Amino acid sequence: MKKIALNINGEEYVVDINEDMRLIDLLRDKLHFTGTKEGCGEGECGACTVIMDGETVNSCMVLAFQAEGREIITIEGVGNGEALHPIQKAFLEEGAVQCGFCIPGMVLSAKALLDKKPAPTRNEIREGISGNLCRCTGYNKIVDAIDKASKYLKEEGETK
Amino acid sequence: MKKRGIGYASTFYGTGYGNGFPDISRAIAELGTDGNIYIYVGATEVGQGAKTILSQIAAEALGVDFSSIVFICEDTSITPDAGTAAASRQTYNTGNAIKLASEKLRNEIINILEKRYGISTENIEDYLLQVAKLNGDEALRMDGIFTASTTEMDAETGQGNPYYPYTFSVYGIEVEVDTTTGIVEVTKAVCGQDVGRAINPKLIEGQIDGGFSMGLGYGIMEDINLQSGRIKHDRFTSYLIPTALDMPDIDKIIIEEPEATGPYGAKGIGEPVLVAVAPAILNAIYNAVGVRMKEIPVTPERLLKALKVKERGV
Ligand code: FES
Ligand code: FES
Repeated sequence: MKKIALNINGEEYVVDINEDMRLIDLLRDKLHFTGTKEGCGEGECGACTVIMDGETVNSCMVLAFQAEGREIITIEGVGNGEALHPIQKAFLEEGAVQCGFCIPGMVLSAKALLDKKPAPTRNEIREGISGNLCRCTGYNKIVDAIDKASKYLKEEGETK
Repeated sequence: MKKRGIGYASTFYGTGYGNGFPDISRAIAELGTDGNIYIYVGATEVGQGAKTILSQIAAEALGVDFSSIVFICEDTSITPDAGTAAASRQTYNTGNAIKLASEKLRNEIINILEKRYGISTENIEDYLLQVAKLNGDEALRMDGIFTASTTEMDAETGQGNPYYPYTFSVYGIEVEVDTTTGIVEVTKAVCGQDVGRAINPKLIEGQIDGGFSMGLGYGIMEDINLQSGRIKHDRFTSYLIPTALDMPDIDKIIIEEPEATGPYGAKGIGEPVLVAVAPAILNAIYNAVGVRMKEIPVTPERLLKALKVKERGV
């Protein structure tokens, strides 16, 4: 057993973990952030994507203790539960969601991309989500949605 | 060297279980005591958009707003069997069952308005609550049953009517083949898909994109590698599926030619959108490098081997 402190979606947590516990299990099983999905459990599908200190990681490939002192954003931290985040709004409008299993990871990859690069080209968007597999949508409407979200975020920035 | 080629494929696809297998959808349309319309069907939503499309069909048949439809599916304890979400049959089969149930309900509401209130109207929307209150705690319910037309094929002659209706497509695909690595990249695509009637064009586009990526994987990537009955490629490290970088942007052409037996002319397109992709890619490979690939997926190894054989002229 080990005690670690970390920040998740802006809140501080101090939790007991086993040394061999994966970050995804800490998030899902212990803290009930079940928006994070487990697809493959071996770093290939991106369903478990979370943002750690500004970078996307596959939370199935990170051990929980490695998150000590870090800032994690899960899908529960995008939007505020009432109002949708512009990325989520754009996903809905563009019909980018089918079964939905890949979507939390997609939204977080999109967020990490747009935080760094507010106006990506379509190809940069494709690169940004290339670690996230989707079996349903063929990605194109997701690319459309991220493209649209980048415009929403730009407008938001201008009105602020 | 990189070589480009263009290939086309045209397909037709039969909707439903086919070959005489009983293919029945049931639906219930109900005027709830709260004045809302409840549609009950045992049809599964897996992301393809059945809930949206079937609610649209109900709203249209009843002549009420989409927002007054409460759509209840999947719970088998309260919904009648509408068959599987398979065989591209929900829009057509269950859509028809819902249309029948909704039309019956609408006619009944019109009758009640006429008989009880002397109101003769085609616009039932404003009277739903009034009619709902008449029956006290009992909701007004109508059912609809649709049976697809299918007969078993004659085993001797292969004749019969195994499927109805059929859906047609023509896809054109451009590929770039790297003759040194054997890698095939799909660079452009135009997809022409007959849909009967587009109940929801955006959802059709989503199905075309999704079907395209499945067809692309089927054609050049996805290999389960079955050996002595065992799947060797049983994880994403070996069983490769397309990523966002493998997909081209697609020019989609939705062709509307209403099908007389479909709900408002609509047909199912879930599977049809996939079928033309692999053959069009293989034709494009032929056009690019002159080899006829007869085995899929056309992996780089397979293509390099075929290119070598061609070079040696055997
Ligand atoms: S579950 Fe982590 S990458 Fe698939
Ligand atoms: S929407 Fe189903 S996997 Fe992406």
